[in-house]
Amino acid sequence: MIEVQHLTKRYGPTTAVDDVSFRVERGEVLGLLGPNGAGKTTTMRVLTGYMPPSEGKAIVAGYDVFDQPLEAKRRTGYLPEAPPLYPEMTVRDYLAFVARIKGVPRTERKARVGSVMERTRVADVANRHCGKLSKGYRQRVGLAQALLHNPEVLILDEPTAGLDPKQIIETRQLIKDLGGDHTIILSTHILPEVGQTCQRVVIINKGRVVAVDTPENLTSRLSGSETLYVQVDAPGAEVKEALEAIPGVTRVAPADARGSLVGFEVNSETGRDIRRELAAAIVRHGWGLLELRPLRMSLEEIFLHLTTEDTAAEGAPDSPSAPPEEAVHE
Amino acid sequence: MNNVLAIAHKELKGYFASPVAYVVIGFSAILFGWFFINLLYFFDRASMQAGAGFGGPQSVNVNEMLISPLFLNVSVILLFTLPLITMRTYAEEKRSGTIELLLTSPLTDLQIVTGKFLGGLVLYAAMLAVTVVHIGFLFAFGNPEWRPVATGYLGLLLMGGCFLSLGLFVSSLTRNQIVAGMVTFAVFLLFWVINWIATFTGPTMQNVLNYLSITEHLNDFARGVIDTKHLVYYVSFIAFSLFLTVRAVDSERWRG
Ligand SMILES: Nc1ncnc2c1ncn2[C@@H]1O[C@H](COP(=O)(O)OP(=O)(O)OP(=O)(O)O)[C@@H](O)[C@H]1O
Ligand SMILES: [Mg+2]
Repeated sequence: MIEVQHLTKRYGPTTAVDDVSFRVERGEVLGLLGPNGAGKTTTMRVLTGYMPPSEGKAIVAGYDVFDQPLEAKRRTGYLPEAPPLYPEMTVRDYLAFVARIKGVPRTERKARVGSVMERTRVADVANRHCGKLSKGYRQRVGLAQALLHNPEVLILDEPTAGLDPKQIIETRQLIKDLGGDHTIILSTHILPEVGQTCQRVVIINKGRVVAVDTPENLTSRLSGSETLYVQVDAPGAEVKEALEAIPGVTRVAPADARGSLVGFEVNSETGRDIRRELAAAIVRHGWGLLELRPLRMSLEEIFLHLTTEDTAAEGAPDSPSAPPEEAVHE
Repeated sequence: MNNVLAIAHKELKGYFASPVAYVVIGFSAILFGWFFINLLYFFDRASMQAGAGFGGPQSVNVNEMLISPLFLNVSVILLFTLPLITMRTYAEEKRSGTIELLLTSPLTDLQIVTGKFLGGLVLYAAMLAVTVVHIGFLFAFGNPEWRPVATGYLGLLLMGGCFLSLGLFVSSLTRNQIVAGMVTFAVFLLFWVINWIATFTGPTMQNVLNYLSITEHLNDFARGVIDTKHLVYYVSFIAFSLFLTVRAVDSERWRG
């Protein structure tokens, strides 16, 4: 439904998007994930025909966005990063105007505007001027605008930015509901959002694709080696030694210590389950085993792992991909 | 065509939702009124002198003495009011990001530019319509010829169209509407004084400059003559400016 082939976009000397390729199947919801300045907005602007690519091409709903822009645009709904509202128009008038330029037939316009306002929950501000709306409502009117002509393809640039928690949940649900009938690309920095709404994720960093997969696969694949967390009631140094002696264990790192309790992160070879041996060894030493659980890398860690990969590789090759804490909370 | 009208309609609503339309119409009505009163006073004196003069009671032509100079004075009003109409057209859409909506909708650049031009032209026509009241007085109390009045209005509409298309082009080059307004005013001023500069130059240069001057072409219209030469000038001026605007929007796209 959407096909991006070797897309490159340069702004003068800076390359914002660098040889990006991916596909989105009909009815799929794809998440475009990346840190600030990764090139998400730029990619979307090319896909919507707002700007031409420097190289490569993009095919949306069967039409090349550069060669047949009108056909592609007729089938695309777009929520830009900044909702494109006219401050002096009322929400209803604004949506009626957008419906008109998107080619909704005159007889259907009123009904479409009404149903879209219901769906995006902006009916209560229908007669308010767009310039007087709060950020969250602006965002919702922007979303309404994208849905008006019932396009096959929806391109949503940070659709939940500026919404309150309740609205975020409702908007994610709306996007999920729209998936299936519509093919959707959404961009976000919020990782749980991807897990909840998208079937597939494209992670981009500095204009390049660093991973394309399902959220589940990303989590398990990137965990690489298995990591376990054990908490033991025993003297720390002895435990570390004992654990390192277990076959298959590659690394034991102290995680925390509270009184006589010590916690360790234990890495093992990929695909090898060492939980039984681990438990047996601890019991054999007569220590108390208080906790034993697998640590999965969260999407957050994966994201940071992938997007800071090159710096980590240059520095310490085998250092654990410890994420800088502050970057996680957006 | 529906798309062009949709844009034009939106533009017009924008003008009337903001003070622009009222300022423009009010300002031009006041200025036009002032010119009207002054010329009327001058005309009154002239006709009294003519009546009392040696040639016996001889009527002074209302069209020549009053209406025609009045129309020529309107160019001064346009100088100040039309930049207000065009300065926000593109600049504001770019600043607020609504241009992203227009450029990702199934519209061609030409449709957008033409729609914006048409919206401005209708507001300008409304501005001229107010002046019909003044002229109406002359028809009520005298009997001027209607033909020079009609061609005069046609000329004014075309001349304003030139200024509007030029202003639209300037607006498409920036995202700051104040800058757009000031540059537009400066460019208008240049086109306005061009034939004034022409009087200081040699005969060939004078012809060239006179031809370029937007206001110079109004003279014949104000006298009741529709000359294709002037029609061609105005229409091609508008077409060329709109073309440049389309190019400017397109090249902005490439630069990003
Ligand atoms: N109009 C422009 N002119 C020049 N450079 C630009 C322009 N727009 C974006 N860039 C640059 O291109 C790169 C990608 O920007 P882009 O807006 O696509 O990032 P993004 O992934 O959407 O970021 P964010 O998460 O902050 O929205 C950045 O380095 C940015 O500085
Ligand atoms: Mg962005």
